Amino acid sequence: MSDITQKKMEQIAQMWNARGKSLITHMALEIEEVSTEVVRVRMPFNKDFCVDAAQTLLHGGILTALLDSVFGLANFVAIEGVSTMATLDLRVDYLRPARSRADVIVQAHCFRETRHIAFNSGNVWFDGHEDAEIARGTASFALTRGATSLFDAMTKGKAS
Amino acid sequence: MDLQTVNAHVSRVPFFRFLNFEVHSLDSLHAEAEMTFDDRHIGNPVMEYYHGGIIASFMEATAAIAVQPDFADVPAKPINLTVDYLRPGVKGPLLARANVTRKGHRMASVSVQSWQAEREKAVAEGLYHFLLV
Repeated sequence: MSDITQKKMEQIAQMWNARGKSLITHMALEIEEVSTEVVRVRMPFNKDFCVDAAQTLLHGGILTALLDSVFGLANFVAIEGVSTMATLDLRVDYLRPARSRADVIVQAHCFRETRHIAFNSGNVWFDGHEDAEIARGTASFALTRGATSLFDAMTKGKAS
Repeated sequence: MDLQTVNAHVSRVPFFRFLNFEVHSLDSLHAEAEMTFDDRHIGNPVMEYYHGGIIASFMEATAAIAVQPDFADVPAKPINLTVDYLRPGVKGPLLARANVTRKGHRMASVSVQSWQAEREKAVAEGLYHFLLV
């Protein structure tokens, strides 16, 4: 079982709910599993994210956006005392065409954190097809540590 | 390929409508486009910054158009990408310019810059590969 505290779980729920107008609200993300080791999130099929007229093929970019979001969540969960976090760089490999109307599952984790940087990796597949990954990504994030927690900034509207 | 035709192609792609951008200029090796800010593009709701994934998606879309402006059904097939985030993308229009650095028979390599008020102050830079077969 994970070592994530109840308090952190509640913060995640509040933070998720505070994102009234944003991409992740539009993606209708649902957290399936969250621990300091791994985070798994589900994105329901959305025809707005397709490239073809028949609306069965997802644009790669939305998978990149998913990975970026879930990396952020993984860092929030795994790292204590972060006040701001910004994606430094991101690499995504599109392993096969994302052709399905199934939900998309993203699993990510922070595999190394230092005082200033977090390193992430993640995998993307269609629900029920974990053996046929559609994308894989790695990223690094710049962390700022300080008294104002990321949670406070996200929920109380404190601009830095 | 004239801009009107390209933008007509763009408007047929559901995800390109979600991004909401227009191609401003185009030649055999370049494409330049402008995206209109929308709440659904936000990554940081407090600061109202663009989501990094939306910036990467917009740059990918511009790169795909530079590679294959006359795409018939779906845009050029992406293989992979690397994006360097240099500054936050603030509320307002975002521009992107894609340069095809190499286009062979099977593969294309495209470099993309995106910026807002000043072209010299890049918001992000990216390198994208496409499969042409």
